[in-house]
Amino acid sequence: MNTIQNKTTRFLWGSLISVILLCVCVFSFLAFHMGSVSSRTVNEVGSLYMSSMSEQLSLHFETTINLNLEQMEALSGIMAPDRIHEDPEQQALLTSYAKALDFQYLGFYTRQNDFEMLYGSHLTVTDPGPFMDSLSAGQKKVAVGEDAEGNSVILMGVPSSHAPSQGHSCVALVGAMPVDYITQTLSLEENSNHEYSHIIRIDGSFVIRTSDASRDNYFDRVLSLYDNVGGKTPQEYIADLSAAMKAGEDYSSEFTIGGERRHLHCTRLANSEWYLITFMPYNTMGSILNHLNRQWVGSALLGASLILAAILLVFAGYFRMTRRQMEELARAWHDADAATKAKSEFLSNMSHDIRTPMNAIVGMTAIATANLDDRDQVQNCLKKITLSSKHLLGLINDVLDMSKIESGKMTLSMDQISLREVMESVVSIVQPQVRIKNQQFHVSIHDISTENVYCDSVRLNQVLLNLLSNAIKFTPEGGSVTVALWEEPSPKGEEHIRIHLSVSDTGIGMTPEFKERIFESFSREDSARVHRTEGTGLGMAITKYIVDAMEGSIAVDSAPGQGTRFQITLDLEKADISEPEMILPNWNMLVVDDDQLLCESAAASLQSMGFRADWCQDGESALQRILQRREQKDPYQIILLDWKLPGIDGVETARRIRHTLGSEVPILLISAYDWGEIETQAKTAGISGFISKPLFKSTLYHCLKQYADHPQAQIPDPNQLTPDLSGKRVLLAEDNELNWEIANELLSGLGLTLDWAENGRLCLDMFQDSEPGYYDAILMDIRMPVMTGYEAARAIRALDRPDAGLPIIAMTADAFAEDVKKALDAGMDSHIAKPIDVREVSRLLKRYMRD
Amino acid sequence: MTLQECYAALGGDYQEVLGRLRSESLVQKFLLKFPDDPSYSLLETSLAAENWPEAFRGAHTIKGVCQNLSFTALYRSSSQLCDALRDGFHPQALPLAHQVEQDYRQTMAAIQAFRSSLPA
Repeated sequence: MNTIQNKTTRFLWGSLISVILLCVCVFSFLAFHMGSVSSRTVNEVGSLYMSSMSEQLSLHFETTINLNLEQMEALSGIMAPDRIHEDPEQQALLTSYAKALDFQYLGFYTRQNDFEMLYGSHLTVTDPGPFMDSLSAGQKKVAVGEDAEGNSVILMGVPSSHAPSQGHSCVALVGAMPVDYITQTLSLEENSNHEYSHIIRIDGSFVIRTSDASRDNYFDRVLSLYDNVGGKTPQEYIADLSAAMKAGEDYSSEFTIGGERRHLHCTRLANSEWYLITFMPYNTMGSILNHLNRQWVGSALLGASLILAAILLVFAGYFRMTRRQMEELARAWHDADAATKAKSEFLSNMSHDIRTPMNAIVGMTAIATANLDDRDQVQNCLKKITLSSKHLLGLINDVLDMSKIESGKMTLSMDQISLREVMESVVSIVQPQVRIKNQQFHVSIHDISTENVYCDSVRLNQVLLNLLSNAIKFTPEGGSVTVALWEEPSPKGEEHIRIHLSVSDTGIGMTPEFKERIFESFSREDSARVHRTEGTGLGMAITKYIVDAMEGSIAVDSAPGQGTRFQITLDLEKADISEPEMILPNWNMLVVDDDQLLCESAAASLQSMGFRADWCQDGESALQRILQRREQKDPYQIILLDWKLPGIDGVETARRIRHTLGSEVPILLISAYDWGEIETQAKTAGISGFISKPLFKSTLYHCLKQYADHPQAQIPDPNQLTPDLSGKRVLLAEDNELNWEIANELLSGLGLTLDWAENGRLCLDMFQDSEPGYYDAILMDIRMPVMTGYEAARAIRALDRPDAGLPIIAMTADAFAEDVKKALDAGMDSHIAKPIDVREVSRLLKRYMRD
Repeated sequence: MTLQECYAALGGDYQEVLGRLRSESLVQKFLLKFPDDPSYSLLETSLAAENWPEAFRGAHTIKGVCQNLSFTALYRSSSQLCDALRDGFHPQALPLAHQVEQDYRQTMAAIQAFRSSLPA
């Protein structure tokens, strides 16, 4: 499990790191690639821009020089050709025009390479050769020269054939202006954009040099200042540049000076032997492009980190999900493992548990066989065998129930039941166990408004018996076991009633860990103190299942050594039978019990029946009250006494009451115990009768009614509780004569008249031969010769008689649920288990005959 | 011998039967009728004839009678025999039948003893 988890974790981490690395690589590559692409683009754009700038500049130069030359031509044109020397007026006009046109010098250029100045100081040409050649050939020409003060000037000559005054032959009219004019006009000086230009000749000598150029020749300057020009040696560069100049082509290059990239562009200027060489730094464009680059890299990085963050998030989520799945898987695996372990542990426990009683049975059988003549020994063996088989049967029943539950086959059969009967039967079943362990047993019933509800009585019994037998089992001798039942309105509505059943003990309790698992199948408190206690460990799981199936809840409260308390809450549908009105004379009654709730509840029930009931909690105060009331001439007329009372017990109290009151007042003993053992003692003490707990209202009513009817009655007779059957005629099918006689004896006591049919066939015949309505009901044994009870019932139901639907109640010694179902399937109304219980028979007869 | 002693001897529950029949005289009356009950001979002859359904019915009736009379010991063994014969023959039936026989004899012996102790 762990290796899988580790592997997955490693895989996830590995993938995450690879994805991050991949991202970083891809984005770095993109950033670098795009960087170089963009710098290449910048270079291209730069040289394009630079070339056009240089072209603009040279165009500008050409335009400026052409403008000046055209002005010179115009000046030359306004003069009459030969008369300028004689005509001072013309000279003055020429001078004024030239001045207006900003020429600072004006003169005629002679063949002798001299100037005849019209105004301005005397000029000399720096390189007269080409100047003279061009002008002589009739071309306009620009050149550099100096005035008398040595200032550099730009000379602009236009061919002219004027005859100068001294008879010199004139070649051209030349106007001049200071070099500064050109420099300023062309913005050759370094401007705000850090552009600057030189004008050089083909040999590299400067025509116009801007301020920082210190040498006379550009080539010398390059040779002395730079080691490297755009990746070439200065010599190579100069050679390339000279070649381009000679060929009359433009030349572009770029180089880095002082960490600054510059572009160089060289172009020939028109009407001169000059070349304009322009330098332009990349600064501005570079910074723009750098900004662009930075932005691109920035966004690339931002994008990369966003994607990385997203990937991280996804990975983290996936990682968490995977881990959760792993944990769930581990938990499921653990649960399954635990269940398997529990089952195999259970199997081994069960095998042990089954083997123990089996061994006892086998062993005891062997002993008994060996001692067939020793009656006591055999009896002893048989007793032990009986105990062991009972135990074994219990184990097997639990396992069968559990397997029914696990295969989903356990269903509830909801029927009308009486809570009083359920409680009474449960109490009577556990009484012997309580007595054997000498435990205190309390039954507390209070606030019962509805006794008859719909529930599965067999399963409800099973739940209560399971809880009670556990309580008794795990409570040491002398401890106390309490079962309580009370009701309250149900949240399900008027049609329902909420009942609370609680079973508590002062036993060994449970550890919190076990409490957690108590309702799981196959669990059992695994400690030495419990190992000697028998049981499958399925009882609580079965209990829980039944309570769940009844849509109830079960809670447990326990601590080791502190005892245990189970509480069951069920919402049961009220049965629709109307409770008979229970009204009795308004006698004075006293209830004595140490359980305050029981007293209050009993007193309330009694008051609702018309009694005036008081209660107290011990014998002494009971005696005091009785004396007090007698003195007030308002004595108690019936007294209910609990057997187990603090201080003097019920029997002793009764004795003292009798001593005081004489024999006329009925004193009834209330007890959750079987009173067989104390009956004689109690009678001697003057007890008139017994009421068994639980004290339902109907219990009280039926018991007390006889005192109202026959004030002198002594022991309550259950037959008195079942009137209204007298005069009814019942057909009883039963093949066994003895059983028939017993049934006849018992049921005649109810006022019934019984006819006997020895088998199913006779039963059918007798019913067929009778007048319709002659029989009020049929009690039907199942196992009979000639015709079984099932067949007889079916045949009777199939008869064409108005009373063919009369109540038929099955009686059988088999209390299996299947038998009950078969009886109902055969058309019978209900089922009673043998042996015949008069109360049960009369209850069912009344119920069905009334219908 | 009292009725209570007789019940102790035959492995029955006197308190239970008294609770059901409510009078000692009734208990005595039915107890004394038990030896005349034909169920046991039905069981015996059916077993001998290997007529399992009839044997089952016999055992079943004994069970019913014993329930009514609270003859606990005989009730238990007859009930087990009943279960063994419910679906026809079962190997367990023979030892169980033997047990029923033992219990029946014990019951009969106790009843005889009680009957003989009664005043004539």
